[in-house]
Amino acid sequence: MLISGLFVGMALGFVMQRGRFCVTGAFRDIWVTRNTRWLTAFLVVVAVQSVGVFALDAAGVISLNSGPFPWLATIVGGFIFGFAIILAGGCATGTYYRAGEGLVGSWLALITYALFAAVMKTGPLSGFNTSMRSVTVEQSNFYSVLNVSPWLFVALLVAGVALAVRHHLNKPQFKMATPPASKTGLAHLLFEKPWNAFATAVVIGLIAIAAWPLSWATGREAGLGITTPSSNAVNYLVTGDPELVDWGVLLVAGILLGSYIAAKGSGEFRIRVPDAVTVLKSLGGGALMGIGAALAGGCTIGNAMVETAQFSFQGWTAMVFMILGTGLGARLTIMNRRPSSGSGQARVPAPTAARS
Amino acid sequence: MAQVTLETNGQVCPFPLVEAKDAMTTLAAGDELVINFDCTQATDAIPRWAAENNYPVTDFSKIGPAEWSITVQKA
Repeated sequence: MLISGLFVGMALGFVMQRGRFCVTGAFRDIWVTRNTRWLTAFLVVVAVQSVGVFALDAAGVISLNSGPFPWLATIVGGFIFGFAIILAGGCATGTYYRAGEGLVGSWLALITYALFAAVMKTGPLSGFNTSMRSVTVEQSNFYSVLNVSPWLFVALLVAGVALAVRHHLNKPQFKMATPPASKTGLAHLLFEKPWNAFATAVVIGLIAIAAWPLSWATGREAGLGITTPSSNAVNYLVTGDPELVDWGVLLVAGILLGSYIAAKGSGEFRIRVPDAVTVLKSLGGGALMGIGAALAGGCTIGNAMVETAQFSFQGWTAMVFMILGTGLGARLTIMNRRPSSGSGQARVPAPTAARS
Repeated sequence: MAQVTLETNGQVCPFPLVEAKDAMTTLAAGDELVINFDCTQATDAIPRWAAENNYPVTDFSKIGPAEWSITVQKA
């Protein structure tokens, strides 16, 4: 049932668009605003999914086994990827769903991301990629090294994330302004109402769990993944080999479609052409995303959300270095963009601000 | 009481909010900042920032497909 990939992708694209779920924003906020609300929501996805995957593993529906840990490529690739998502204005999945909102900058980033993922995986840089990823250590995950049950880590993660969520929910509640409602009932809920970040995260976690058995049933023994499917899509487009269109390729196509439906249905689709600088940043960021994700063995989804849920060294190492790369990118392009405005006295009006 | 308009259409997140924060520092208490934006994620980020800083939102409307305008008062 290959087609289930399309439906899972559509659900994911829809929920991410409506929930404004942005992993780049989650990692960036740690540095720019020192806020961990979205990071916490992201870790909710990991925690929910880890319960699900180890339950599926215990039930024999899937069987988890992680190979040796390619530490060098994971560190270098994770850092490059983290830096790149700031340039591109979204991670791989974020770029897919923003492309569905009509952002031309995301279309460009998506094209160079998929192209360079293919260049690294099956193209002229595949030798380099393979040799980088052959620098490994045998130990692959936390629980097998410590020789304990993975459920110990599942329990620790769930408890830690629950505490973090409680911390955010215990903050003084304030009423957030929303535009006047123009829809009612289910249409309002699906296409208008702002979604709570943690509720969105739980739904994404459930989609990520469902991805495992559905993908497994088609012979693709993995959960959600974006980079290899993107590379496969490029290879399919240039070779026409239908064997390449697997569950994952339908998944990423579904993300585009699902976010388009969400954006169109809520009046948030419009083709938006960026300025020249954003075009260059999107193209360059997309290319570096492809290179980084191929080296690290996954993007913010494949590594930081799916591998982490299995407590693999690759997943957690990639996530830490993605966050560090995001920090460098944010420092260079966001926090330092108008050094003069930090002096306090100089009243620097925003360039486009006009008094009326 | 002055009203300042900040056009951020075409800018992706986080820049609408970054610019709004910058523009806010140039305003006096009681002044209003009208932020026009077309980045979807800012529909969460900007009103949240206003609420966390106790800035009243005097208007928030969707003016077209993927186009919003929010008026935040400096308090």
